Amino acid sequence: MTIGATATRIPIWRNVRVIAWAFQLVVFSIVAIIVYWLVGNYRVNTASSGIPTNFDFLDNPARFSIPGSPFDGNQAVRAAFGVGILNTLRISVVGIVMATVIGILVGIGRLSTNWVVNKLSVVYVEVVRNLPLLVILVFVFLGVVLQALPRIENAWRPLGLVVVSNRGIGVPWYQSGSGSLLVLIGMMGIGGWWVLARWRRSVSERTGELARSGPIGSAFFLLAIVLGWFLLGLQVSLPRVDGRTIAGGIRVDPSYFAVLIALVIYTASHIAEIVRGSIQAVSRGQGEAAKALALSPFQRMWNVILPQAMRVAIPPLGNQYLNLIKNSSLGAGFAYFELTNVAQITVGNGSPAVPAFTLALLFYVVISLVTSAVVNLANRRFALVER
Amino acid sequence: MAHPGAIRIVAPPAKGIAQLLWSDSPYNSGGELRKTLIFLGAMCVALAACTQTAETTTTAAGNGAVAPSGVLLADVQSRDSLNCGTRDALPGFAVLTEAGEHVGFDSDFCRVIAAAVLGDATKVNHVDLETADRFTALQSGQVDVLVRNTTWTATRDGSEGATFLQPTFYDGQGMMVASDSGFASVSDLDGVVVCVAKGTTSEGNAANEAARLGLSWEIRPYDDTDLIQEAFLQGACDGWTSDVSQLTGLRSAYPDGAEALTILPEVFSKEPLAPAVRDGDTGWAQAVNWAILATIQAEEYGITSGNVDDELGSTEDIGIKGFLGGEFEVEGAMTRVDPGIGLPVDFAYQVVKQVGNYGEIFERHLVPLGLSRGVNSLWTDGGLLYAPPYR
Amino acid sequence: MTTLADRSPLPTRSRPAAVIWVRRNLLRTKLDVFLTVAFGAVGLLVLFHIFRFVFITARWEIVRVNLKLLLVGRWPVEHLGRIALVMITLGWWGGTIGGLIRAGQLRRGTADFDLRGWAKATDLGRRFGLLTATCLLILALSTTSGPWLLAAGTLTAALIGRWGGSKIRSMPLAPALFRLGGVVLLATPFILFLYLVSAVAFARWEGFLFNLTAAAAGIILCFPLGVLLALGRRSTLPLLRSLSIGYIEFVRGSPLYVLLLLANVSLEFFVPSALAPSKPVRAVITFTLFTAAYLAEIVRGGLQSVPRGQEEAAKALGLSPYRQMTRIVLPQALRNVIPAQIGQFISLFKDTTLAGLALGTFDLLSGGQAITQQDSFRGQGLIVESLVFVGFLFWVGSFTMSRESQRLERKLGVGTR
Repeated sequence: MTIGATATRIPIWRNVRVIAWAFQLVVFSIVAIIVYWLVGNYRVNTASSGIPTNFDFLDNPARFSIPGSPFDGNQAVRAAFGVGILNTLRISVVGIVMATVIGILVGIGRLSTNWVVNKLSVVYVEVVRNLPLLVILVFVFLGVVLQALPRIENAWRPLGLVVVSNRGIGVPWYQSGSGSLLVLIGMMGIGGWWVLARWRRSVSERTGELARSGPIGSAFFLLAIVLGWFLLGLQVSLPRVDGRTIAGGIRVDPSYFAVLIALVIYTASHIAEIVRGSIQAVSRGQGEAAKALALSPFQRMWNVILPQAMRVAIPPLGNQYLNLIKNSSLGAGFAYFELTNVAQITVGNGSPAVPAFTLALLFYVVISLVTSAVVNLANRRFALVER
Repeated sequence: MAHPGAIRIVAPPAKGIAQLLWSDSPYNSGGELRKTLIFLGAMCVALAACTQTAETTTTAAGNGAVAPSGVLLADVQSRDSLNCGTRDALPGFAVLTEAGEHVGFDSDFCRVIAAAVLGDATKVNHVDLETADRFTALQSGQVDVLVRNTTWTATRDGSEGATFLQPTFYDGQGMMVASDSGFASVSDLDGVVVCVAKGTTSEGNAANEAARLGLSWEIRPYDDTDLIQEAFLQGACDGWTSDVSQLTGLRSAYPDGAEALTILPEVFSKEPLAPAVRDGDTGWAQAVNWAILATIQAEEYGITSGNVDDELGSTEDIGIKGFLGGEFEVEGAMTRVDPGIGLPVDFAYQVVKQVGNYGEIFERHLVPLGLSRGVNSLWTDGGLLYAPPYR
Repeated sequence: MTTLADRSPLPTRSRPAAVIWVRRNLLRTKLDVFLTVAFGAVGLLVLFHIFRFVFITARWEIVRVNLKLLLVGRWPVEHLGRIALVMITLGWWGGTIGGLIRAGQLRRGTADFDLRGWAKATDLGRRFGLLTATCLLILALSTTSGPWLLAAGTLTAALIGRWGGSKIRSMPLAPALFRLGGVVLLATPFILFLYLVSAVAFARWEGFLFNLTAAAAGIILCFPLGVLLALGRRSTLPLLRSLSIGYIEFVRGSPLYVLLLLANVSLEFFVPSALAPSKPVRAVITFTLFTAAYLAEIVRGGLQSVPRGQEEAAKALGLSPYRQMTRIVLPQALRNVIPAQIGQFISLFKDTTLAGLALGTFDLLSGGQAITQQDSFRGQGLIVESLVFVGFLFWVGSFTMSRESQRLERKLGVGTR
């Protein structure tokens, strides 16, 4: 009895590996054929009209200007795209910060025992969450900014510091000095805050007294800014109405203002729901133990509940941030010069449409991928390390 | 040639960073960063591949794509309907009425082309286009001709793939302000907000004009005229700049009344408004061109829709008879003029009979707005309209 | 000498419940008092302004006059009867499905008998009260009696369908007839769609009708592609996996607005000019391709929620991979993520407004903006009234759907265990 007969060879049509590769080949060919047909149509359709399909249009002069930036019509289209990206990032960063703050506050308010605060939060979240963002945008732009804010001749001047009109909001700003040096001092102030916080924390652990790193650190930061201000000889410039525009200070574009407010209102309602869900996900025992330890409500929330809640909340929060960045593209319909608007205008001025919009799309994809990678990083960093 | 010592200093941190970004260290979140980098790299490669080969024209997979030269005329005639790109809400030029009809100067020129090519001015399919879509609709074949108060510029001839024909309206760009604003001339406008429609020549021209006059304007582009009107009503815009003909039409429909707005006297930039067809089809372009020119030539001959039958019947002028496609005697034989453009022999007759000559069309739609002929008169009256001889 | 026993306890002052409630919920701490006063004042002010606007100062004429334009756009009047017929049929269809589900629950014993009589009525009222109130509002704004008859007809048809659906199982009919009935039921929406399209081409569907059908078409059409992408993403074959991941990440990273703009200018270049799609069709194509990527992620989550044991058991039973997937795994996976799918549908429903901005299609929102430019309403600042109505319609649809989805989630017990 010999054991050593050769194993039966699997026929090729039942060999799993062969089937797998054949299947992939089939799928690939189908996709390739579809893409080839589409691209072929595109080439023929555009070639006979002489429309270029490369990216040379980026070097053409833009022939339009962007208010609020030094960009003028003689610079290349690629510089316009650069300004568009900067504007997108500007509104996204500010929007994310504001929406997070408001969202956390409303989310906590949703769980408050105060009936008025509770009901107001519920109404705000339920109403705004179920409205399309575009409806909110149109309402804020046409209804609020254009109609409710006054004309420049009748501009409001609350406290004499701010000028509010429907063609811009003037806010006091620094002038006649180096702003970037002030930013540097600000960053040093933040560094000092961090050092102080560490020191206070170590003191608190040693002696048991309250760390109060927040108030002390922020006081130091403010002191640094004020000192830097006077040392650098900076001055405040107040806005004032000058003819038909706002001179002095810094002018907040009405489109920027409208799009920012709408984005913040919309995203904050979603963030509030996420924060509420994540706070409710923290076990009740934590809050009760904190109460038993005689922590004040603020300390309970800030030191015990929120840190645990944020762990759960980071992935959905990241999702909302991505949504905000993508929703900023709607500013194109309301005269805000972010990336999509710039692409639309260059297309209207003669750039080929498909390459221009594809470029804008690629930037959004890149921004999204980077943001989600950062969020994943944060998630991994803060995730609960379990046994 | 890098100094070996420098390499020794740079290499370890570089290696460390590369490891950080590439490997499965916790700092790149389990390979997420690596996957992101691979994905971005793949996209860059794909993009480069697309653009490298994008300049060569291919003949592959061109089934049913845009017709080559000379075929669109036959296509339109066999389809027996003309797709004319227009708009729906510019008073005087193209307005979609409650009854569903397009009425206006540009709409009538769509009918002129249909009358010439198809013999029937009613066989027009008016396709309403937004400003942003007008050229892509033309490029893709969605419309056969674009008659939509579009300015003829070199860039549009070139990169938009359009061929512009005889201008139907020689216009210029102007500025409109509120009557009670106190502005009497463009040079008064300093430090103001000027609103303009997105994707038009008006944007670039406004910027140039401001730079030329040394004024500072904040130019805000809006998607459509409704938004500009709203912004203007609320006082968010000081000036509204566009072609003077368009401003006249919009002024006539202003909610607060036409007197609330003033069009300033200065005209900056030339804006010849002309119909456009797609590049690459000279037969079609010439056919459409001569349809337009027929209206101008008819006015020069004094032929109107009222007297065209009489002219055809009783005139002694061989030029007019030949123009209208009538028979006349040459060296004993009856003959007609057929220049071989591809249009029916009596196309000019159909155009004038069914729609009218240039003057009639102008009077019907633009004179009620308050526009005068100005440079849009015949060359014999000192204007710019000069049709080449039809022979 | 008074003893302990003699001392009677102090009578407790009984406070009315309202006072207790106020003290506990509004005045608990000093901060609470401040919050109550501040936010209470703000809330009362806002409420006052809203009531004054809605009932006194607003001029609802613009909505009343343009109701048909907002709801169905410029639908030819002679074909409005078709819409009425379609609505009644859809009412019947919805009722029948509800009845079938109820019969199935009774058969399987999972029927919900907790609520009976008055409790059930209040529960139904809470669930559908808002929707009913909105319908009544629209009916009140209409100027003819037609809509009232239509509403009555739809309600009757729904009730008949509900009764019929719950009774049909007990009828002694051949199984083949049941299967035929099932096919008819599945095909009804498509038949109704064809019935409407034969009268008015899809390119001319406007108003709220466009929003509803674009969302429905998007979510229905994206299912095949979405499921394929989800399976591809989980696959071990490298090419399939990278194609799926590439598509999903690219589409999820792009804003829908930019995709719509791209579709607007470029879709006609990618197909022969004879096939160039109209704007509404372009919008629906873009919605489909966009939602497929999001649905793929949702289905992927659903596939992960099915225990591996199911797949292994199916394999042990000798089912082919195809049968494993379609008979065992996918049904469970899709059932587990129904709430997430409903959430995606709500999101798509709200996003259909972008088509109006990007492509210039006439949908509810762009119609609402356009009616403020009509000759009789121009320049009077009526955009707020128009937007409030438009926003209200979207809000009611979205809110009702999300509440039903939450209720379904609780019933299915998703997230628990």
